[in-house]
Amino acid sequence: MTRLSDLPPTQARRLAELECPEFETRPWVTGPELSRRRVAIVSSAGLVVRGDDPFRGRDADYRAIPTDTEAGELLISHISVNFDRTGAQQDRNVVFPLDRLTEMAADGVIGSVAATHYSFMGASDPTQMESHARELAGRLKNDKVDAVILAPV
Amino acid sequence: MSALGHYLEEEGIATVAISLIRAQTENTKPPRALWVPFELGRPFGPPDDAAFQRRVLLMALQMLERDSGPVIIEDFPDDDPRAQADPGWCPPLVADAGGNGPLETLVARLQSEILQIEDAHRLWAAQNGRTMIGLSGLSIRDCARYVADWLNGRAPKSPRDGFSAPLMLRFAVDDLKACYLEAGAAGNARPSSRQLGDWFWDKTAAGAAIHRLREVCLGSEDERLKLIAGNFLVPAMRVRGGR
Repeated sequence: MTRLSDLPPTQARRLAELECPEFETRPWVTGPELSRRRVAIVSSAGLVVRGDDPFRGRDADYRAIPTDTEAGELLISHISVNFDRTGAQQDRNVVFPLDRLTEMAADGVIGSVAATHYSFMGASDPTQMESHARELAGRLKNDKVDAVILAPV
Repeated sequence: MSALGHYLEEEGIATVAISLIRAQTENTKPPRALWVPFELGRPFGPPDDAAFQRRVLLMALQMLERDSGPVIIEDFPDDDPRAQADPGWCPPLVADAGGNGPLETLVARLQSEILQIEDAHRLWAAQNGRTMIGLSGLSIRDCARYVADWLNGRAPKSPRDGFSAPLMLRFAVDDLKACYLEAGAAGNARPSSRQLGDWFWDKTAAGAAIHRLREVCLGSEDERLKLIAGNFLVPAMRVRGGR
């Protein structure tokens, strides 16, 4: 178990007070009801498909995870050792809820599941991620995605 | 996550974030976030509990239909039921806890233990048909051998093109941990992550070897190696002696 309270106080405080760029705008995008949305997962767990280049340190770019990726093909290459991996080892949906999204699409709760999902490595500098995130937005739009669930670790 | 949400939303795509650290989310102010009281590494809750995971996901996605933001931060009401220890769980092997004896003894214990853990991991593989071992591209025996070479002070070369030796050391350690923790979760019991972690770090030769490896590498003059060893091998809550 690794809750914030389990970490040494300095580390816990650093996470809680993590610096984020000061933004001048507060964007807010609305859209149709959930049952008409196309949903993608964007994780910060440093996920990679087996065989792809793992995150090597604080890389600020992202990796693509096709929606038909088998559970056994997903690896976690996040640099941090201070979060639990045993849950994700037992069931990827703990960090990457693709099976749940697929079920929700089948049930009509959401419109559809994106063709591709993505992962960053969450310990990277957010300002370095900006250009990659903006480029990713174009990819998501090409896939007609209009809702993203952001999944940390 | 909050910055990613901001950038994507500015580009016209609606986002909702799961938050594992409420104070951080309050500080960074994403457009929408659902705080969950689960441990770090489990944003959607317990493994193998589809109904619970679905509740988390649905509550988050439903925030996309709200028109009262930004910023919306809400709290998921229930804790992870798998955070509790399973008293019926038995670890696949238990070694002497001590890692302070002669280095040669520890290396020998590690290499003999690897054979046992491979057997235990076969049960996991048969049950689950998958593994998260694979970052290093090495077999588990080779991961252990690579760690042993570092422990013996040999500073071995990287066994993989394009990957530095310290990076391969990190990946080999990650793969060893994955092998043990998957093997530990094989069977019908449902150990908590605390149980698995206590066992691995305190009751296996591999855990003792990684503690010792950290100490050995911290004595190096290679600053990159010291950075990796000091921060990315042993969880902060498991570091002994506060060093």
